Amino acid sequence: MHCTMEDLGALRAGEASVWARRHITTCAHCQAELERLYQRVAQLKALPALHPPRDRWPVVKAALRAERTRRRRTWGTWTGSLALAATIAAVLLMQPAATNTVYAELSQAKQQSATLEDSLKQVDTDGRVLSGHAAAAVADLEDRISVLDGTLAQRAESDQDAELVKLWQERVGLMRELVSVHVTRARYVGL
Amino acid sequence: MTVALAVPDVIVARAQAGDEAALETLYRAFETPVYHLIRRILRRPEDAEDVLQETFLEVVRSIKQYRGEGYLWGWIRKIATTKALMRIRRDSVRETETMDDEHGKPGMHVGANIDLERAFERLSETSRAVVWLHDVEGFTHEEIAEQMGKTVSFSKSQLARAHARLRRMLDQGAHT
Repeated sequence: MHCTMEDLGALRAGEASVWARRHITTCAHCQAELERLYQRVAQLKALPALHPPRDRWPVVKAALRAERTRRRRTWGTWTGSLALAATIAAVLLMQPAATNTVYAELSQAKQQSATLEDSLKQVDTDGRVLSGHAAAAVADLEDRISVLDGTLAQRAESDQDAELVKLWQERVGLMRELVSVHVTRARYVGL
Repeated sequence: MTVALAVPDVIVARAQAGDEAALETLYRAFETPVYHLIRRILRRPEDAEDVLQETFLEVVRSIKQYRGEGYLWGWIRKIATTKALMRIRRDSVRETETMDDEHGKPGMHVGANIDLERAFERLSETSRAVVWLHDVEGFTHEEIAEQMGKTVSFSKSQLARAHARLRRMLDQGAHT
């Protein structure tokens, strides 16, 4: 009686039965089988690398961009509501923080960002045909806004965070450019 | 194939911040090892390509969740393995047909000069997955069982049966 393949696998894993461990020390046939098993595994590990026949990155990238655009629109609506709420609270409650410059700048930047989001919606960006140059500019701006939104989403909200103000102001700048590209295109098409 | 990839932390951090260039760097670094792993498990190249794409879509969506615990390759490899095994489960009907072919077709005898790679390709996808994950990627039977939704005994018996079949095919090839 010789070792089964289960026995040989167990010997390889150091989990073999007492019988198999004793048998392998005396049976030349099973010793050879175990050696062949080791060789097969070594050969499998040494098989040449298989390369993908086509570049799939463009597809992954396109899907990523589409998801980001969807997220950015959702986030824009959400931040618009937040900015409006913050502004109303600042005006109505007249908290001491409202006099703080950083807080005021932050509120202003959020409000501007929300206004620009509303402007963008009115342009009907999805229904327009863009030139290659304009489409590239829009894609670039949307990507940069998406990255910025990701950073803002991870950042803790604080009235005193000057860096946060800079990020929001940067977002306002990018949003202005984005609206500008779309509006310019709308006027051109209108002519 | 040994994967010894070290991606700089700064690239990972940039990818986690959504930087598209960094995400592409990760793709370029891991596309071949991921495809190699998937293709060794799945029989059809087009399935392997689809799973490669699904894997990297998951990577770019979830990279923020990678906490730097263990190697990045280990994290990506787990995603790839899960996707490949899901594909096998989804295509279980085809899998059964393939296994029947191996046993039953009159012309399906193993010819001369068969090498290990060709013999391996003739195993069922489930057998290929178990052999590759255990023997090449170093997964334990417990890990394989968990990923496949099967028992440890299933993994062990699949491995033994696959090696017995490989052994027979190589032996027949050497004597014809």
